[in-house]
Amino acid sequence: MITRRTLLQSTGALVVGVQLSAAGSLSAIAETRDGYGAEHAPDDAALAPTVFVRVDDRGRVVATVPKPDTGQGVRTMAAVLVAEELAVEVDAVLLEQAPGDTARFGPQTIQNSTSSRQLAEPLRRAAATARCLLVEAAARRWQVPAAACTARRGRVEHPAHRPLPYRALVTDAAKLDPSTVPVTLTPPEKWRLIGRTAAGRSDAKDIVTGRAKYGAESAPSGTLIAVVKRPPWIGAQPDTIGESVVATARLVAPGDGQGGFAVIAERTAAAIAARDALEVTWTGGTPEADSRNWLAELEAALPPVTTAPDVQRVYRLPLLAHAPMEPLNATAHVTENDVTVWAPTQDPGGLRTLLSRLLALPESQITVNPTLAGGGFGRRVEPDAVLEAIACSKAVNRPVTVKWTRDDDTRHDSYRPMSVHRLGATLGADGLPTGRFHQVVTWPLTVVPVFANPAIVKASGDHFPYAVPGDVTVTLRPAPLRTGFWRSVYAGQFGYAEECFLSELARAGGHDQVAFRRRLLPAGSRLRAVLDAAADHHGYADGAACHLDYGSAIAVLVSAVAGRPRRVTAAVDVGVPVHPSGVRAQVEGAIVDAVSTVLGAQITVRDGAVVQSSFRDYAWARIGDCPEIEVVLVPSEAPIGGLGELAYPPAAAAIASALAAGGDPVEGMPYGVPVG
Amino acid sequence: MTRYRLHVNGKRRVVDVPGGTPLLWALREELGLTGPRYGCGVGACGACVSLIDGEARRPCVEAVDDVHDARITTIEGLDDHPVQQAWLELDVAQCGYCQPGQIMTTVALLRRRARPDDADIDEALKDNVCRCGTYPRIRAAVHRAAEIARGRK
Repeated sequence: MITRRTLLQSTGALVVGVQLSAAGSLSAIAETRDGYGAEHAPDDAALAPTVFVRVDDRGRVVATVPKPDTGQGVRTMAAVLVAEELAVEVDAVLLEQAPGDTARFGPQTIQNSTSSRQLAEPLRRAAATARCLLVEAAARRWQVPAAACTARRGRVEHPAHRPLPYRALVTDAAKLDPSTVPVTLTPPEKWRLIGRTAAGRSDAKDIVTGRAKYGAESAPSGTLIAVVKRPPWIGAQPDTIGESVVATARLVAPGDGQGGFAVIAERTAAAIAARDALEVTWTGGTPEADSRNWLAELEAALPPVTTAPDVQRVYRLPLLAHAPMEPLNATAHVTENDVTVWAPTQDPGGLRTLLSRLLALPESQITVNPTLAGGGFGRRVEPDAVLEAIACSKAVNRPVTVKWTRDDDTRHDSYRPMSVHRLGATLGADGLPTGRFHQVVTWPLTVVPVFANPAIVKASGDHFPYAVPGDVTVTLRPAPLRTGFWRSVYAGQFGYAEECFLSELARAGGHDQVAFRRRLLPAGSRLRAVLDAAADHHGYADGAACHLDYGSAIAVLVSAVAGRPRRVTAAVDVGVPVHPSGVRAQVEGAIVDAVSTVLGAQITVRDGAVVQSSFRDYAWARIGDCPEIEVVLVPSEAPIGGLGELAYPPAAAAIASALAAGGDPVEGMPYGVPVG
Repeated sequence: MTRYRLHVNGKRRVVDVPGGTPLLWALREELGLTGPRYGCGVGACGACVSLIDGEARRPCVEAVDDVHDARITTIEGLDDHPVQQAWLELDVAQCGYCQPGQIMTTVALLRRRARPDDADIDEALKDNVCRCGTYPRIRAAVHRAAEIARGRK
């Protein structure tokens, strides 16, 4: 129990220390239920045929968005789909963010580019159900066939009657038995909005006025601030702690993150100052670790090459940090019976399930409120900041926000693993590859135990789409630091090496990069279509790459000038581009990730610690590094595909290959820079 | 604790904070102006950029002691500004976390240069990081904001 006596006094602020143990597992996060939960009964004042959509007695259309928005645009996508089916404009749809509850909302995790694939159909069906009930209610009132009535601009119309606004129909519609009313989705030829709307992001107005609420802005008033003294080298454990807090600081909760010592204060500046002043000595861990040695160890583990290829190349890829603009943070309030969390999480439902297990509380006593997130890129599927906040709130019986400083966020990430790739090919008389191999040596994802299985790693990374026989072998070595999901996961490494190698083969044989790939792709394939579309828009390209994943297809072409990418064209087929501006935005963003990681961003480790600490030394692209980008949307008959991660692997490969067209061969990432 | 009198968004405000407190935390935690975002605390990312006497500065590395005579404008101090209009028109934002800083830096740029060229934009925004990669739209929106400010619709 914390008492006043145990508090650190620091310039008038309340400061409390909480020791956090190193533990925590993400295994439950991957477990999500398929299917959608029980419908909750509509009350008299609203039509709510499903958990996703309701129309209230003022005629307002409210969509509940089951998955959080980290900038990928799921909220806007939901608004477009619901507006289409309920015959209103996009900005007329009010959005509510669903709390964590997989029983009601189904899978709520945003990973593996699943949001549109999992949500588009149920959201459309929910809104269409509401529309059909409203139309049926009007038809009964007018005593006309429902087929003669039309929903338009928030009203139901019939040629012989004055239009009825939704608000006048809600009560009647809510009394209908939905199972007696056939539900029809608006057919594509009648779409006004899906794939066509010029509407911007639903939260744009709040963003440009500064009103948008991310993690820290979502905490209740009276919340204390915690900042954590974190291990100064990998795996270090606190040994002795500054005298002023030693009697009270050793509070250890189960599974509460990466370890360290939380300092809690009324205000952020006081918490940071007290954290920085706190004297802790550390022991254990790997104070000698060096990422150059890690890379050499991976390379030494490459299996022998049994059949000599005509061409081979080894690629070395670095550690990468997620570095979302909003550093990790979470707020928790633990009371005798309940736990409430406010967090920019990528998985509110999985988090609630995990907390239920770790805290031995029924899910009904746990509330997870997802906030807008200032980027995620895979990092926020992890619960560590939330577990820290819970440990701190327990210690002080108050709501507490744990804020990671930028230094914390950069140095205590779950990094994209380093990897070494050896690729080889046999060539035919025309210079086209007739056989290939790709050996990968890398680490598992430590925060997702299932990724200790090489077959899972291979499934994540192996998407070679060209007609060249061969295979990928995966060798996993123990990870020397935390590793996790990073946009595109292993496809970002495998695809990069494969496309860079293919580019080298094409160049060596004097082939045009696009023509070379066309010959290796089946006629009529989605990839061939996007490659042709990209070439039509771009013209001659120094670098090219394709990627087929998440149910979507993309081709990226790059022209370079003076060792810099100058112009990038991406043609993308996601089936139906629900929100066109948002689709372009995801591709543009992934291309900028590619620019960043090919031109120089990498994480290195010296003397056991991550060297980089902010955007000053983690060399993320700036506006002046950014090439011209054109994104071409190629519609197809395919079902709606995933997109958030699709463009990164081919964009990185095409950019590096374009640089290599005027310089040295690609030997790794970043291009032309020592790795590790 | 020391009492500081600040001019923020056209109003006189009083904050009681320890000397040396970064302006960012005085704005966010004492005055409730949370539009300036915490991104790095070391002046490296630009997510908190606000205007101090008309210049784009970084409240995370400005102590309250040094700005008590200055006129401070945060993103909350803009009212349907041409830069905000352009940002909406071109649907710039993704996660949006960096955008208040991008917008305030652009407001300061347009005060200096009514018709910035690409080199001006690269220079003014070179230390405003956008991790979502909205740079192409930011560039287009700066040009568009300049047009709007010059009266072209």
